[in-house]
Amino acid sequence: MTVLKTSMRNFFAHKGRMALSAVAVLLSVAFVCGTLVFTDTMNTTFDKLFAVTSSDVTVMPKDAKAEDTPQNGVPEALPAAALEKARTAEGVKSAEGAVSSMNVTVVDGDNDNVGATSGAPTIAGNWTRNDLRSMEITSGHAPRGPTEVMVDADTADKHDLKLGDELRTIAQTGDFKAKIVGIASFTVTNPGAAVVYYDTATAQRELLGATGRFTQFNVTAEAGVSDARLKQNVAAALDGPYKVQTAKENSDENREGIGEFMDVIKYAMLGFAGIAFLVGIFLIINTFSMLVAQRTREIGLMRAIGSSRRQVNRSVLTEALFLGVVGSVLGVAAGVGIAVGLMKLMSAAGMNLSTDDLTIKTATPVVGLVLGIVVTVLAAYLPARRAGRISPMAALRDAGTPADGKVGRIRGLIGLVLTGSGAAALLTAAGADKASDGSLMLGAGIVLSLIGFVVIGPLLAGFVVRVISAVLLRAFGPVGRLAERNALRNPRRTGATGAALMIGLALVACLSVVGSSMVASATSELDKTVGADFIVQGNQRIVPKAEKAMQDTPGLEHVTRYKMLDATLTSPDGKTDDEGVTAADPTYAEDVRRATTEGKLSAAYGPDAMSVGSDYAEKHGVHVGDTLSVAFKGGETAKLKVAAITSDDVAIDQGARYMSIDTMRKYLPAESVPPNTIMFAKAEDGRGDQAYAALKKSMDAYPQYQVADQTDYKQELKDQVGQLLNMVYGLLALAIIVAVLGVVNTLALSVVERTREIGLMRAIGLSRRQLRRMIRMESVVIALFGALLGLGLGMGWGATAQKLLALEGLNVLDIPWPTIIGVFIGSAFVGLFAALVPAFRAGRMNVLNAIATE
Amino acid sequence: MTSAVSIPTHGGTGGRTAVAARARQVVKAYGSGETRVVALDHVDVDIARGQFTAIMGPSGSGKSTLMHCLAGLDTVTSGQIHLDETEITGLKDKKLTRLRRDRIGFIFQAFNLLPTLNAIENITLPMDIAGRKYDKAWLDRVVETVGLAGRLKHRPTQLSGGQQQRVAVARALAARPEIIFGDEPTGNLDSRAGAEVLGFLRRSVTELGQTIVMVTHDPVAASYADRVLYLADGRIVDEMLSPTAEAVLDRMKDFDARGRTS
Repeated sequence: MTVLKTSMRNFFAHKGRMALSAVAVLLSVAFVCGTLVFTDTMNTTFDKLFAVTSSDVTVMPKDAKAEDTPQNGVPEALPAAALEKARTAEGVKSAEGAVSSMNVTVVDGDNDNVGATSGAPTIAGNWTRNDLRSMEITSGHAPRGPTEVMVDADTADKHDLKLGDELRTIAQTGDFKAKIVGIASFTVTNPGAAVVYYDTATAQRELLGATGRFTQFNVTAEAGVSDARLKQNVAAALDGPYKVQTAKENSDENREGIGEFMDVIKYAMLGFAGIAFLVGIFLIINTFSMLVAQRTREIGLMRAIGSSRRQVNRSVLTEALFLGVVGSVLGVAAGVGIAVGLMKLMSAAGMNLSTDDLTIKTATPVVGLVLGIVVTVLAAYLPARRAGRISPMAALRDAGTPADGKVGRIRGLIGLVLTGSGAAALLTAAGADKASDGSLMLGAGIVLSLIGFVVIGPLLAGFVVRVISAVLLRAFGPVGRLAERNALRNPRRTGATGAALMIGLALVACLSVVGSSMVASATSELDKTVGADFIVQGNQRIVPKAEKAMQDTPGLEHVTRYKMLDATLTSPDGKTDDEGVTAADPTYAEDVRRATTEGKLSAAYGPDAMSVGSDYAEKHGVHVGDTLSVAFKGGETAKLKVAAITSDDVAIDQGARYMSIDTMRKYLPAESVPPNTIMFAKAEDGRGDQAYAALKKSMDAYPQYQVADQTDYKQELKDQVGQLLNMVYGLLALAIIVAVLGVVNTLALSVVERTREIGLMRAIGLSRRQLRRMIRMESVVIALFGALLGLGLGMGWGATAQKLLALEGLNVLDIPWPTIIGVFIGSAFVGLFAALVPAFRAGRMNVLNAIATE
Repeated sequence: MTSAVSIPTHGGTGGRTAVAARARQVVKAYGSGETRVVALDHVDVDIARGQFTAIMGPSGSGKSTLMHCLAGLDTVTSGQIHLDETEITGLKDKKLTRLRRDRIGFIFQAFNLLPTLNAIENITLPMDIAGRKYDKAWLDRVVETVGLAGRLKHRPTQLSGGQQQRVAVARALAARPEIIFGDEPTGNLDSRAGAEVLGFLRRSVTELGQTIVMVTHDPVAASYADRVLYLADGRIVDEMLSPTAEAVLDRMKDFDARGRTS
């Protein structure tokens, strides 16, 4: 009981000193809880949506998948005759045929895509009674003829669409205009899909290419008939290759796809929260170490009057427990706030989420609390043990100078061994022949070198701080020297504070190296291999009309079509694989130049010929002249002669098997031929600019496709990688913020610890300004120390990753010096920023009180 | 007796005044109303240049407060304090700091040195902070005088208590301040080390013409001074010139007895 009381008093007596540690715990817990609440809320939103939209029983083609359109770009369909059969099943109250396609683009009068920008799909279909379950017509009426369309209210709002406006729908099989005659609002939360409706005949003709077909039947049960029962009856009545699902099965299947996607987001975000926790551990260890050091005499006294080691130990841990509880409880609350904030952010990005759906599962606060408390107490364990080892004699000793820690030799040795084995693992990874072996070594190398650096950090602190100071601080004369000595006086503390910053910055450096190497490698490969002037691609595969528009563009020497096909390949050794094949125009060999190890690539575009990649050829002992059997999905099986083997030492089209479109057509019926994934074009000699302008113009009507010349394409690539990196940096910011809190904390506690020193210095004439500068410089040195270690480590990781990924075509190592140097300089400012409050408080310290402090 | 103003304002060496510091009607009070505590009660005092002045008095007599006020470490409630011709009462922190840095030296009872700096760095610190060049010959002489020549590269933790105080004395002397203030500079030392330090202080006054003001409650320490001021209840109650330890002790006993009977 006394232990509890002492701990509690200590905790509240030092609540100021605990505050930053509590904030660190709070932030990490909040991020975890925020992630959980956010993803759970997203899931709830989709659950509700799917639960509402699923009819009692749904009938679909056997292989239909909710999110996938088959390779030919036309949704799989059911014959109308089957609908009649389904209606005859027992217990069916009504059955309705629905048409729906996600392989569409809808544009307004200015040819602007009205689809969601958030990545949510555009869904086009016929208006059925089933849709009334989730929507209501809020203005106008349902579409009745081939020129009428209804749009959802969110999309109408976003794009300022009104009744009477014209919308153009671009599908694989149709491209037509219709006037908006109705606007329908969702009665449940629609997370962001743009939805348009036509009458049934129009939907069938334009989206499926023929009337008398549906993509699914929505069957409603008579009163008293269960879904399972109805499913049985309908399946029996249909007796064919159909997928029949109850409402629950249907919504579960719909949810599965979303759930996987949400899980990826969830675990990625939790990963970053984990990093923040890791950084927070350093902060907590430092806080408690410093508090224990400052209380040495007090603890000695307690020991002298009879407290046992365990009691001292426990009292420190109890304090940590309080810290964990306070931080976690606040963190859970803040987490809900973060989730709401994220939802608002998503709304701004075009995704609708309602706070009505805010889902806080019981597990969320439990996970947050347990994680926060356990991590805090574990982190405080080492300092607590150190407190327990304080001898009763400490009470009698002069307080002297507080906590000038020394670094043990054993620690140095362990650190060296860890760092050494980490470096060895990284070197092994860099020299690995197989990506799978290498990535394991890379992972081991990263973990070992990180731990090694953390352990060895205090030793490095001595050296690195001296170097930084020699370059930077000497200019500031005696104040600089004082700052340097202060940063050096407790290397363990400086090491731990810097290490916290190191972790975040190492990841930043590593990712920036990998990202910029990716861009550099791709650019260099594009320069080397791509002969095409223009590249056209987009979210929707290229519809026939767009293909035609491109081919009709003046000033082009050639236009290349490129189609990816599902097919099963059987090699002479009897092995099969489903990797598919690529069918392209022979000009593709000029657009993307590929080296061959055997034969000539142009020959592969001859009749009944093809090429394979060198990896495949090696694995299956295939040589030019061998015959492969290619079973086209939806077509026949062809016997094709291997005419070329392409070298797989590339990033573009690695492992692709080429054949001509003519060869493909022989074995694949026209309706099964897929649209182009991508198209290439080459301008006539000397007319590049005109051709580019003309191509852009002719693709104007198809905003879903991006037209790029090589320069723009490279830029796009760079922008995409840059965006991705920025997102990751944003998430790493959390860890860096916690690390900065750590710097602030260390400085603040150091200032308290050095009260007398500061008083002395002020008494003998150090001005406030000089004092503040001294603390700021100490902070900058610590920050730069962390940055130097982190950036060095991260660049090492990044370079190793690049060497390893060179096997996958990441051939060029590009260290983004501007980023690295920017981060380094930024760290100095972070140091300045971290010192603001501690320096201010030190400056305000009353000289007399400072001298008087025992 | 409420004042110790007995020194002619001018005289002594050169153009400088003979009074290094003077306080007039200095009041220092804490709190207000019923809880008001007066630490200094209309004190007048002159500190003679080139002399070693000791301030004595029982605990709570205000002797430390007086020193802090004279040294510009503390502010006064009313009254004036001059350092030479400069009035320091009312100066802002910036000017006070510069004044302490350039014109005053300090020796505290304990924790005089920065643990991160070695002996010589500690000695030159005030001048380093000021960005001032130091007089090498003078520095050597000071170091010689306090007998630290062999220990200049040592950190404070590697020095004994007496050595640490000697470093503090050297620091105070090195910058050639107008006044050195000592707050029980030998309070933490054994008698031999204390005697050493006091000897240095005495010599610096006699041989180097330094002005020193020292707060102490040790009659032996006070006996090294030229003049002893006695404080009680925030007032100067007595003064003794050319004191001996016995005389000081007797006087103290006197006060104690009076204090008890009153």
